[in-house]
Amino acid sequence: MPEVVVSIGPHHPALKEPVNFKVIADGEKIIRLELDLSYNHRGVEKAAEQRDFIRVLPLMERVCGICSHSHSTAFAKGIEEIMQLEIPPRAQYIRTIIAELERMHSHLLWLGVAAHLIGFNTLFMWTWRDREAVQDTLEEMSGNRVHYNMNEIGGVRSDLTPAQVTAALARLPNLEERVNKYVDMVNYEETMLIRFRGVGKLSKEEALRYGTVGPTARASGIDYDVRKDDPYLAYADVPWTVVTDTHGDVYGRTRVRVWELQESVKIVRFCLENIPEGPIRVPAPKNAPKGEILSRYEAPRGELAHFIRTNGTDKVERVDIRTPTLANWTSVAMCLVNQNIADIPVIVAAIDPCLSCTSRITLLDTRTKKEGIMSFDDLIRRYRSRNPERVWP
Amino acid sequence: MTGPLTLDMVAGKMKDFGVTEQVRRNRIRITTTPDTVHDTIRTVQAMFGFDRLITISAVDNSRTLELVYHLTGPHRMVVSIAVELPRDLPAISTVSDILPPAAIYERQIHDLFGIVFPGHPGLARIVLNEDWPDNEYPLRKDWKPNPDTFYGGIKGEKI
Amino acid sequence: MTDPVFGLIYILIFPGFLFLFLYALFLAFLDRRIAARMQQRVGPPFFQPFADFIKMLGKEVIDPAGVDRAIFDAAPLVALAAVMTAYLYVPIIGNSPLAFQGDLVVVLYLLSLPTIILFLLGWLSRNIFSAIGGIRAVTQLFIYEVPFFLALLTPALMAGTWSISEIVVWQQKNMWFIFLQPIGFIVALIGLQAKLERTPFDIPEAETEIVAGPWTELTGRRLAIMDLTIDISLVVGSALVAALFLGGPMIPWAVTPSWLETVIGFFLFLVKTLAVLLILSSIKVATGRIRIDQVNDIGWKYIASASIVQVGIVLVMNYLWVYA
Repeated sequence: MPEVVVSIGPHHPALKEPVNFKVIADGEKIIRLELDLSYNHRGVEKAAEQRDFIRVLPLMERVCGICSHSHSTAFAKGIEEIMQLEIPPRAQYIRTIIAELERMHSHLLWLGVAAHLIGFNTLFMWTWRDREAVQDTLEEMSGNRVHYNMNEIGGVRSDLTPAQVTAALARLPNLEERVNKYVDMVNYEETMLIRFRGVGKLSKEEALRYGTVGPTARASGIDYDVRKDDPYLAYADVPWTVVTDTHGDVYGRTRVRVWELQESVKIVRFCLENIPEGPIRVPAPKNAPKGEILSRYEAPRGELAHFIRTNGTDKVERVDIRTPTLANWTSVAMCLVNQNIADIPVIVAAIDPCLSCTSRITLLDTRTKKEGIMSFDDLIRRYRSRNPERVWP
Repeated sequence: MTGPLTLDMVAGKMKDFGVTEQVRRNRIRITTTPDTVHDTIRTVQAMFGFDRLITISAVDNSRTLELVYHLTGPHRMVVSIAVELPRDLPAISTVSDILPPAAIYERQIHDLFGIVFPGHPGLARIVLNEDWPDNEYPLRKDWKPNPDTFYGGIKGEKI
Repeated sequence: MTDPVFGLIYILIFPGFLFLFLYALFLAFLDRRIAARMQQRVGPPFFQPFADFIKMLGKEVIDPAGVDRAIFDAAPLVALAAVMTAYLYVPIIGNSPLAFQGDLVVVLYLLSLPTIILFLLGWLSRNIFSAIGGIRAVTQLFIYEVPFFLALLTPALMAGTWSISEIVVWQQKNMWFIFLQPIGFIVALIGLQAKLERTPFDIPEAETEIVAGPWTELTGRRLAIMDLTIDISLVVGSALVAALFLGGPMIPWAVTPSWLETVIGFFLFLVKTLAVLLILSSIKVATGRIRIDQVNDIGWKYIASASIVQVGIVLVMNYLWVYA
């Protein structure tokens, strides 16, 4: 039977982000997978070398919409450590609150998307409605629903007023009740169980070998969590536990994420109730001394690593961003073999891909000044000539 | 490996591979040479249990190209193994046989810096588009976009 | 032979095609509204399906390169004609004037035509996603059709007739089949949900996997007509289940004068079809989509065996009580 190539992406309703899987399938079973990333490159790392620290922070934030605070904080805390600045505790707590709120909104978003992918639109509607409570809190505190821009080198940009703290605490009980309900649903809802169980299984050894990070790894029983391994911000003060599961399939990853939601609610509540008084930033020098640092951060999707090298000026020499999604792509390609085509969206979504984070390098736009029109036929012909081995129906 | 890992433990064993220093509370940096990288990584894997690759960072410090391999393990320490490569013909053997996630990072570095990794399963373009011209490595310090070169995409789209 | 004028009014206006058109759009609206309220959303206004239909009729029809335009134009119309014809044999207000022995079988056959048309369209679309969707539609047809047919034929077995109208009359004299054959009722509902390709059985048009399956290349008036076909199938399916299990447009006791009995019966028919719709909508909202191999599993293991058990029970009941 000839191999049928089903090309999923880059434009496809299953994927929320542009990535191309060339799936070579036999009926409904997948034999092989070719991954083609990076349709959306923007040149962030190169651009960061040409801006001073104040200007780089908003750039870092825009690496990703959902984990914007992660990138910005990872960069800020890296630079602060090179400069050997001592951040005031109130700023650390505020950063932690925003970070955990971001984790909550990301996990609720993911839960809705995963439900939508299996056709369970009711859960999608419900989780996104509860996510609005988190978004309202973030908007009150920072002025925006995404891209909060709370960080500065040396602390945070704006303070939390007592009214904001009270309003946020008031939203938490309802949110906690809804999250508990989702924990129940994940464990007992039949259609979810039947679509998630046994799908995309990754054993502990495989997960270690392929370098998976984040909830995907924790669902296979590996208890790496940068917040515990390498504590930063206020995580050392807050009582919380790392969540792991032993299933290793999409069901396990779902459970890890809803339990992390519960933990995040607890962390946010603790921080809001125990936030210390004090200044929210310290003045930072313009230039950073020569140095290098590996700044690690637990983004909602996993471990984020910023490797920063400074050279004594007010710009970085190099910032190398390794996002969790990039680390998890290998595991996706490996665990998709021998699964059904129908499960591709679910397995891909289970690592919570954020291609905005993954592809950050330049697709420069220096156009030649020549103008010309390429007709639709030319476009098709050009695409076909580049892919002669494709099976064209 | 249980218990905290200290600098002396690592430094003693790694003397033949390169210079070891403690750069942060939980990070140890080993500077070594390109030909010994593979053995260094295998040794730290076997002897100290650094079984996870965090990332491979590449830096262009205007004189040479540097590669830093960051690994971590269950003891939560991080070791960074740094090498320097010459600019004109940078090549270093791949470590994807002992660390599978390295394949993606090496592909990315090859795309952007031009470092060749002999032994790599497939150094296809991963980050740049397929019709990006060869020998243009955007993240090198001496690279500037050339207005006469065509960098791929669709020519002259009338919007 | 009935009066031709009366026949024409029955077929074209009430309770014929005009009423069918309006009622189908109304039930589509109710379905969307109920689903929305259950998901804590507002939902569309009551004229939404009608507005969608009119809008779609005016949209551009795009033909992919190399497809057979004639079949693409004709196929939706054939599907529509099939379900509209099936509607005529279901008793809506009193007995259907076109009833004859065996019209139950004809209705069941006509109701499966839209799925086969979908498969045809998917196959002819020259598009791998449509082909996969078409294959899934036909696979699902094989799986649910057997239990569905069996569940709808057991009332005929017990009533001793192959005409839907006479089954309704039998129920008026004795008891509604939902009490006599509850397993059959449940199987019939599940089969109906699968026939209409609604969650959890909407795998052939799974938006998140294969774009829209066989619906992908349908545009403009073709899409409007296929959508209308599915909406009308909902009406016909609900009316069929209501007629076979809930007693149809008859009330269990006699009321004089007879015109009042007919009118009350008609309103009861509306209520019963709405009840079936409510059940189907709830199933749609409360579940997620299951994979085709899981449909296969569940279909043959549980649903088919349930329907066979139901047939066995009916045969025993026939022997012992009904025809003793």
